Amino acid sequence: MKARFEKYISYPIGLIIALSIFSATLLAMGFNPILSLEALIKGSFGTVFRASEIFVKVAPLLLTALAFLIAFKARFLNFGAEGQLYIGALCAYLAASQMGGLPSILSVPLVVLASFAGGVAWLAIPLVLKVKLAINEIFPTIVLNFTAILLVNWLVTGPIMDPNALIPQTRAIPRETWLPIMIPKTRLHVGLIFAFFLAFLIYLILQKTVLGYDIRAVGLGPRAAKHGGIDFSRNTIIVGILSGGLAGLAGMIEVLGVNHLMIMGFSPGFGYQGIAIAALGRFDPIGVLPASIFWSILLIGGRSMERATPPVPIHMIHVLQAVLVLSVLIVQEFLTVRRQK
Amino acid sequence: MIEILTLILSSSVILAVPILFSAIGETYDQRAGVINLGLDAIMSLSAFVALMVCFSTGSYLMGTLAAISVGGLVALIHGFACVTIGINQIISGLLLFTLANGIADFLNTYLSGYKVFLAPLKAINIPGLSQIPVLGPILFQQNIFVYLAFLFAIVFGFVLYKTTWGLKIRGVGENPEACDAAGINVNRIRYLCLILGGVMAGFGGAFLSLGYLGLYGSGIASGRGWIAIIVVILSSWSPYRAILGSLIFGLGYSIAANLIGIGIGVPSYILQMLPYITALIVIIFMFKRTKGPSALAVPYRRK
Repeated sequence: MKARFEKYISYPIGLIIALSIFSATLLAMGFNPILSLEALIKGSFGTVFRASEIFVKVAPLLLTALAFLIAFKARFLNFGAEGQLYIGALCAYLAASQMGGLPSILSVPLVVLASFAGGVAWLAIPLVLKVKLAINEIFPTIVLNFTAILLVNWLVTGPIMDPNALIPQTRAIPRETWLPIMIPKTRLHVGLIFAFFLAFLIYLILQKTVLGYDIRAVGLGPRAAKHGGIDFSRNTIIVGILSGGLAGLAGMIEVLGVNHLMIMGFSPGFGYQGIAIAALGRFDPIGVLPASIFWSILLIGGRSMERATPPVPIHMIHVLQAVLVLSVLIVQEFLTVRRQK
Repeated sequence: MIEILTLILSSSVILAVPILFSAIGETYDQRAGVINLGLDAIMSLSAFVALMVCFSTGSYLMGTLAAISVGGLVALIHGFACVTIGINQIISGLLLFTLANGIADFLNTYLSGYKVFLAPLKAINIPGLSQIPVLGPILFQQNIFVYLAFLFAIVFGFVLYKTTWGLKIRGVGENPEACDAAGINVNRIRYLCLILGGVMAGFGGAFLSLGYLGLYGSGIASGRGWIAIIVVILSSWSPYRAILGSLIFGLGYSIAANLIGIGIGVPSYILQMLPYITALIVIIFMFKRTKGPSALAVPYRRK
């Protein structure tokens, strides 16, 4: 009971710390923190459209968080979700743009496969280096993030740019491949359901299958797992494929569900935010659900803060998010260590 | 042709500087057993602070001092989270990255009314040496930051390998229990190294805005902090070898920048990939043989 209580107490404490720092900073900068918070809450729940925007953002955030946590569970640190997301989106775009005239029931699954494969392909080098040469995966994955973004920038400003567009972007993909909208007059598309379904699927894999048992065993004690006869390479390859694929799917969701084309810098760091969300959700596939929703509320509310007078730059929200996760982790660790003493 | 080569080599020395500053600081971090992945954002933030303080006080020295103080302060947060409390250093570093970038972008937008441009620090020609053909312009016609970076690298190497301080730092990263038993305050050394790492990243950032560009743009470090950590591993945690490591990447950045300038028909985005592709190749061929400090990323708690 006490452990259970301590498990959750870190969230309100963390939130209080984060909000205090947030308010103090705004106050010092000459803003009114009360008005800013009011704008944040009204801005995220004020209208149906805004509330729906929260869930539009949840889909990619949830997928990148899942991508990080499934690999993290098996001690594989995939910091490359951002790059895999860009390549997944690119593959989704390239596949979708060839599918004009094909019925959605055929084209969408093919596009989904393409983006999954794209994400996996972008993780392939770090994965092979890890499995074959035991090279730490953090730096190859991060380097490939920069490379992927530059690659997409090059493609959308040159080879696949729409010649009639004024800004660097591609032509729109055929309408048949657009994900259906769930609530009229919003941008909320069925990709959200897909993301929720995948979260549940990852939960099932982790908790109810032999594979999940192996993954968790490696995460909890690699030595014991090795003695228990778990094949490390196989395990790492499987979580790598799942992780890269999920990040690729996050890119697909943005192309098919929201933008319907490729554009420079379409991801505001979803890949990196996924890592923070995974940490906030205790690396648990169900825990990242509320974490990603809360994260998204802050992002959407932050946009209204930016429109308020005087405008508070959205980056204050990023500061708030970082402080929040950091405080929650610090409180959790503090309580765990104290209990063990 | 010789002019172009001189230009490329001379700017690769310049472009190695921010990487070198951060890399030698991070070397101390990691030698003491703490990894700081927030380096890139600390560089951006301190570049911004350096520019603003220098602009309002008119003093490059004040700008640099402000930048290194901010670098040290941000590193202190990492110290509290990872050394005192002991949360996952990788996650904490990434949050630090978000935090420092957020602060930099916030301040930059908040003060966006002021578009600040400064003349980058002037080069100091070393008498005599700067007159040597080819070598002179490459090595001895640079600004103070450039000389400082290479000087620091040598001093850091000396301290690490030849002094008791260095021995303690290396010991704390290899076997904290033994150091603790010998009466060394493990966490104090880790804190000091972390602050030093932040200060060095601050120097790197100050160089970017005051010594090189004379302006600030969001995410000004653009991956140099990450490259610096790769240099640390590539140079197997030696400040001396970090000089060579950062020159390799300086060359990559320099070739990219100068070829973009000349305009050889290769798209600029492709050329910008050059340092990252260099990094990937370096990782593939060099990382296999390196072995880091044994207690890297492991928090120390007294049993």
